Amino acid sequence: MGMPDNDAVLDRIIEPALRSAEERGTRRLIVSGDWTLAALGDAQAAVDDFEASHGPAHEIDIGDMRRLDTAGALTLIGLRDGKAAAKTADFSRARPEHRILLDEIARAAPAAYEPPPPRAGAAVEILRRFLSAATSIGRDAIRLTMFLGETTAALARVVVHPGRFRIKAFTHQLQQTGLSAVPIIALVSFLIGGVVMQQSAFQLQKFGAETMSIDMLGILALRELGVILAAVMVAGRSASAFTAQIGTMKMREEIDAMRTLGIDPIETLVLPRVLALIIALPLLVFLADMMALAGGAVMAKLYLSLDTDMYLQRLNSSVQAKHLYVGLIKAPFAALVIGLVGCLEGLSVQGSAESVGTQVTTAVVKAIFLVLVLDAVFAIFLSAAGF
Amino acid sequence: MTAPQLNGAPLEYAIRIRGLTKHFGTQLIFENLSLDVHAGEILAIAGGSGTGKSVLLRTILGLLPFEAGSVEILGSDFASLSKTERVKIERQVGVLFQDGALFSSLTVLQNVQVPMREHLNLPQKTMDALALLKIAMVGLPPNAAYKYPSELSGGMRKRAGLARALALDPRIVFLDEPTSGLDPIGAAAFDRLIQSLQRTLGLTVYMITHDLDSIFAVCDRVAVLADKHVVREGAPMDLVRDPGHPWVREYFCGERGRQIAKAS
Ligand SMILES: Nc1ncnc2c1ncn2[C@@H]1O[C@H](COP(=O)(O)OP(=O)(O)O)[C@@H](O)[C@H]1O
Ligand SMILES: [Mg+2]
Repeated sequence: MGMPDNDAVLDRIIEPALRSAEERGTRRLIVSGDWTLAALGDAQAAVDDFEASHGPAHEIDIGDMRRLDTAGALTLIGLRDGKAAAKTADFSRARPEHRILLDEIARAAPAAYEPPPPRAGAAVEILRRFLSAATSIGRDAIRLTMFLGETTAALARVVVHPGRFRIKAFTHQLQQTGLSAVPIIALVSFLIGGVVMQQSAFQLQKFGAETMSIDMLGILALRELGVILAAVMVAGRSASAFTAQIGTMKMREEIDAMRTLGIDPIETLVLPRVLALIIALPLLVFLADMMALAGGAVMAKLYLSLDTDMYLQRLNSSVQAKHLYVGLIKAPFAALVIGLVGCLEGLSVQGSAESVGTQVTTAVVKAIFLVLVLDAVFAIFLSAAGF
Repeated sequence: MTAPQLNGAPLEYAIRIRGLTKHFGTQLIFENLSLDVHAGEILAIAGGSGTGKSVLLRTILGLLPFEAGSVEILGSDFASLSKTERVKIERQVGVLFQDGALFSSLTVLQNVQVPMREHLNLPQKTMDALALLKIAMVGLPPNAAYKYPSELSGGMRKRAGLARALALDPRIVFLDEPTSGLDPIGAAAFDRLIQSLQRTLGLTVYMITHDLDSIFAVCDRVAVLADKHVVREGAPMDLVRDPGHPWVREYFCGERGRQIAKAS
C-alpha cells in the first residue's frame, strides 16, 4: 500500500550535542540533536564532556532540540541537576510536549538513582544457607509426618462418608500411575533380571556352581530388585506428575479457590492419588518380579543352556514363597511415601513457574531417597525377625 | 494534541487491517474485519466478553495465524517480513498482556530490562536507572523493583507489565484491559500517564478496555467489536449520539454511560 517510507527518516539520528554561549555574564547551554534511547551513549558522552570542561550554566536552552524521549529526558534532568548547571538553572524555550515530558520525568527521576536495598554479607548468607540446609531434614520429617496425619484424617472422613470419595479421580489416577507404567516397568525388570542372571552365572561358573545363580536371582528379584525397580520408576513418573499437577493448581490459586468453596484439597486431590498408588504399586511390584524372573529364564537358556522347565523346577525347590511376600509387603509403604512426598511438594509451590520446576525436582529426589531408606529399614527389621 | 507527524514524514495509519477472517477450529471468530488505527491516537477497543478483543490483539502482533485478509503494522505487512525487519518493528511495539505476562523467575527490575538487553547495548548502570525510572513512572513504589511477580498484587503486576512495555519508548503500545483490577484512583492515574506519554512521545495506543471512565477521559476514538467484526468506530461522543448497534446503545447509553458522558 502506498505508505510513505518513514523508516529512512526515523533511522537517521542527528547526533546529540551541547554548546555553550556567554552573554553578559550568564552562560547559556544550547542543546541540539536527538536526545533519544538510540543515541543515549552519545548524549551521555556530551554531558560528561561538558561537565569536565565548562563552568556551571545558568540556563539550558532546548528550543533547537529535535527529538526527545524518556531516556533523553532523564539524561537532561541529570544535566540540569548536575554540576554543569547552576542550582537555579532551568530549561528554556522548551516546546510544550517536551516540557510535559521533562516535568513527568523530573517527578520520577529520584527513584531512578535509588540504590538497591542492602543485602546480607556473603559470609552471613553462606552461614544462613548452611544452617537452613542442616535443619531442613528435621523440618521435612515433621512436615511429612503432619501431612500423613492430615491425609489419614481425610481418609477417616471418607470412610465415615463413603459418598465423598472421588471415585472418578481415583480410577483416573489408577490408570495414570498403574496401567501406563506397565510397559516401562516390565521392560526394565526383564532386562535387569537377565543381566543379574548372566553376571552371577558367569562368576559362579568358576566354582562350578552356576545353577546357584538361579537361587540368587530368585531371592534377589523377589525380595529387593522388583520392589526397588518398580518403586524408583513410579517415584520418577508419578511423584513428579503429582507435584506438577498440584503445584500448577497452587500457583493459579485454584487450591485457595477450592478451600473457599468448602472443598478439601487433601480429600479431593491427595487422597485419590495416594490410594491409587497404594493399590497400583504392589501390582507393579508383582509384575516386576515376574518379568525379572522371565529375563533370568531367557538368560539361563542362552547362557547355561538350561531349559525353562528345569529353571522353574530349580526356582520352585530353592526359593520359598516368603521372599515374594517380603518384597510385596514393602510396596504399599513405598507407595504411601511416594504419594505423600509428591503431593506435599506440589502444595509447597510458591507462585512462580520456576518454583514448580524446583519442587518437582525435590519431589523426585526425596521420593527415591525415602524409598531406598525405607527398603533398608525393612531389610534390617525383617531379617532380624527371621524372614 | 499535536498532529501525528513523525519527523516530517506523516504516517497516517499505525495499524491497518483489511478483510480479516479467522477461525479457531470450526469456530468463526472474525469475518471480513477491517480496522484502521491512526498514528498518534488513543484507540479503545470495546466489546462484550469473548468477542475476540484479545484474539485480535494477538493476531495483529503476529502471534496467531489467520486465514484471509491483511494486517499492516507501521506500514509493513508483518507476515511478509524477514526476521531482521520483524525485529525492527517489534522494537517499536510494546505490549501489556491481560494478566501482565511478566517472567516469573525475574524481578520486576530485570523484567523491565529484558527488552533493553535484547535490543540495545547499554551499560548496566544506565539500564538500572532507566528501568527504575519506568517503574516509578507507572506508579510503583521503589521497593517493588526488587520483588518477584508472585509477590505483587494483580494491579501492581499490571503496572510492572506496562513498565516493561514502555522500556524502549515504543511507537505503538498495545494494552489489554490495563485498568481492570485497579482501584478507580489508580486507574485514573494510569489513564493520565498513558495520555501524557501519548502527547509527549507521539505514542499510538491500542487499548482494550471496558472502562467507560477511561474511554471518555483519554480515548480519541472507540472501535466496538461485535458479531465477528467492528460494528462501530468513532469518537466516544459520536457513539453516544448515534449508537447504531444494540450493544453499543446498551453500553454507552445506559445509566452510567449517560452520566459519564454528561460529566466529560
Ligand atoms: N487459543 C484458543 N483456542 C480456541 N479458542 C480460543 C482461543 N483463544 C480464544 N478463543 C476463543 O475466542 C473467542 C474470543 O476470545 P478473547 O479474544 O479472549 O475474548 P475477549 O474479547 O474477552 O478478550 C472466545 O470465544 C474464546 O473461546
Ligand atoms: Mg480478553
